[in-house]
Amino acid sequence: MSIYIEKDTKVLIQGITGKEGSYWTEHMIGLGTQVTGGVTPGKEGQTVHGAPVYNTVRRAVAEVEAEASMLFVPPRFTKDAVFEALDAGIKKIVTVAEGIPLHEAIQIRSAALSEGAVVIGGNTSGVISPGQAMMGFFPYWIERVYKPGRIGVMTRSGSLTNEVTAMVVEAGFGVSTLIGVGGDSVPSTRFAEMLPDYQNDPETDAVVVIGELGGTMEDEVAEAIADGSFTKPVVVFMGGRTAPEGKKMGHAGAIVSGGSGSVADKTKLLESVGARVAKRPRLVGELLKEVLGD
Amino acid sequence: MKLFEFQAKEIFEKFGIETPKGVVFDKPEFDSKLDGVGYPCVLKSQILRGGRGKAGLIKFADTPAEAESYAAELYNCGQGVDRLLVVEKGKIKSEIYLSVTLDPAAATALVIACADGGVEIETLAKDSPEKIIRERVDIDRGILPFQAVNIAFQLGLEGDLRKGVSKVIMQLYAAFDAYGAELAEINPLFITTDDKVVAGDGKFVIDDAVLAKYPEYSMGREYFESDAEFEAAVDGIPYLQFDGDISLMCAGAGLTTTVYDLINDEGGKVANYLEFGGPNYRRAKRAMELCLKNDNKVILIVTFGTIARADVMAEGIVEAMNELKPDVPIVTCIRGTNEEEAVEILKAAGLEPLFDTEEAVRKAVAIAGGKA
Repeated sequence: MSIYIEKDTKVLIQGITGKEGSYWTEHMIGLGTQVTGGVTPGKEGQTVHGAPVYNTVRRAVAEVEAEASMLFVPPRFTKDAVFEALDAGIKKIVTVAEGIPLHEAIQIRSAALSEGAVVIGGNTSGVISPGQAMMGFFPYWIERVYKPGRIGVMTRSGSLTNEVTAMVVEAGFGVSTLIGVGGDSVPSTRFAEMLPDYQNDPETDAVVVIGELGGTMEDEVAEAIADGSFTKPVVVFMGGRTAPEGKKMGHAGAIVSGGSGSVADKTKLLESVGARVAKRPRLVGELLKEVLGD
Repeated sequence: MKLFEFQAKEIFEKFGIETPKGVVFDKPEFDSKLDGVGYPCVLKSQILRGGRGKAGLIKFADTPAEAESYAAELYNCGQGVDRLLVVEKGKIKSEIYLSVTLDPAAATALVIACADGGVEIETLAKDSPEKIIRERVDIDRGILPFQAVNIAFQLGLEGDLRKGVSKVIMQLYAAFDAYGAELAEINPLFITTDDKVVAGDGKFVIDDAVLAKYPEYSMGREYFESDAEFEAAVDGIPYLQFDGDISLMCAGAGLTTTVYDLINDEGGKVANYLEFGGPNYRRAKRAMELCLKNDNKVILIVTFGTIARADVMAEGIVEAMNELKPDVPIVTCIRGTNEEEAVEILKAAGLEPLFDTEEAVRKAVAIAGGKA
């Protein structure tokens, strides 16, 4: 099984006729994703890789089944596109755009929270359940990274996710669902908010969190472990352990000042509640073997 | 982008917040008549680093002669002071901390206030968290007057001062909202002996994603600590200057940061942090050019790209080497989409491609240490 997206999830693509949208729609279908339709204003009547195109999301949901929407939309139009999907009743939305204005990102997250929707992103590769379906751009054919299995992965990064996930696969495991919450300072959905789904997924045995200095998302994972709402093993890797204070290193979300948000503080907190923290990417695989008794 | 104090104060003025009377001088100019600003005065270096007071970059002068001599001292202190803001030294009764920022977890704006101003908020948060007042503001609704009044009462203010500070809270929020800012901070907010409320300092950070709307704050050398950081920023390449001898030319913020950690673990020292992943993955030449500006002993290239294809990056690296002829060794660890082709390209160019990040890091550290 998996969370968020699986082989039966019916997905709409907003911005399907664009170069990027069209290219990745083909690969999403290639993996097995059910793409039921697409949206580009003024292009209704066309088809893209077999998916019918509609002028608006409202038109699309009147004609085809869709429970999720994938946005290939530039950052300055992302707010509008997210609200259009929410307005049409869609509750799962993935946006890959990098550089959504922060005030708009707050509005998006606030709306998602109040409407009970789960918006993932921006500044992410998206969500993939290897061997089943994806919303985003993952070269799923690279087996040493995107191998199906029983480890949930949540990440703020792109390249680092490949580095760490390759270690998970090298250690003999695979991935149930990988969720890129994104590298921006205001991700629409936070690590801890995905934990209940991983907790309830009978085919996820443990979760790997690929975090970073700055912010409080890793601290919130520790809270979920501490209050008993998440009981599966957690292995965490964080970048920026030796980053100098005050420098804006890494993603926009990563700035540490005055001791709060440092990897050292996060490590202490996570370890105090029983999560395992890997100092190096390679150790993520080793720690998984330990916690899963392999 | 973080603005200079004098720019932050210009924005405050626009929104009705009072600031001390002041005048700006560009190096080497200085006129002790101060354009009508009286004595005693304060000379404030306009640099973007925090902790100016501790670094001796803020001076108090009682006379024109003193001001002249301090101005010369600041301009020539070697810390890149190219501009001074000189303000009248007010008679201050008390100082308040006030800021507006975003709360990513709560998905709201957040007003932060504290009756003990003048101290960095991080220090306050650590030493006396109970003194910090937090008021969440719905970003769609905006701040409402009752919220500002609540904050002012919590600060222990009464009468006209309570009204004056509430008004500044509303004005500061309006500025924050209008510019789509990441941070609008007044620290300290002065309460003068004649009960005026005056912004003693100003920090204003505009979200880079909306910066294009404000051409008056176009990217200039003055916003950066080094030439290389400025040049990289103009090209849209994330770059940080350090003083070691290993140049990082990696892809992805998270991976580059991780390689930085691994270098430090192995006892190496980073010369620069540079990312050429994402939209920059075809720009190996420019990235290498920036690395070569450093007095480094090795360039370490680590990538694990998916959309940023390994073969395209490898080709770019080989082209860059042919054109730039770097005089330092290059260690590569390039993985991801089409990595087999990448290996062939690198080998054909005489490189020995590695596959393991930790091995690549150890090799770079060994070269820098003269052991390889």
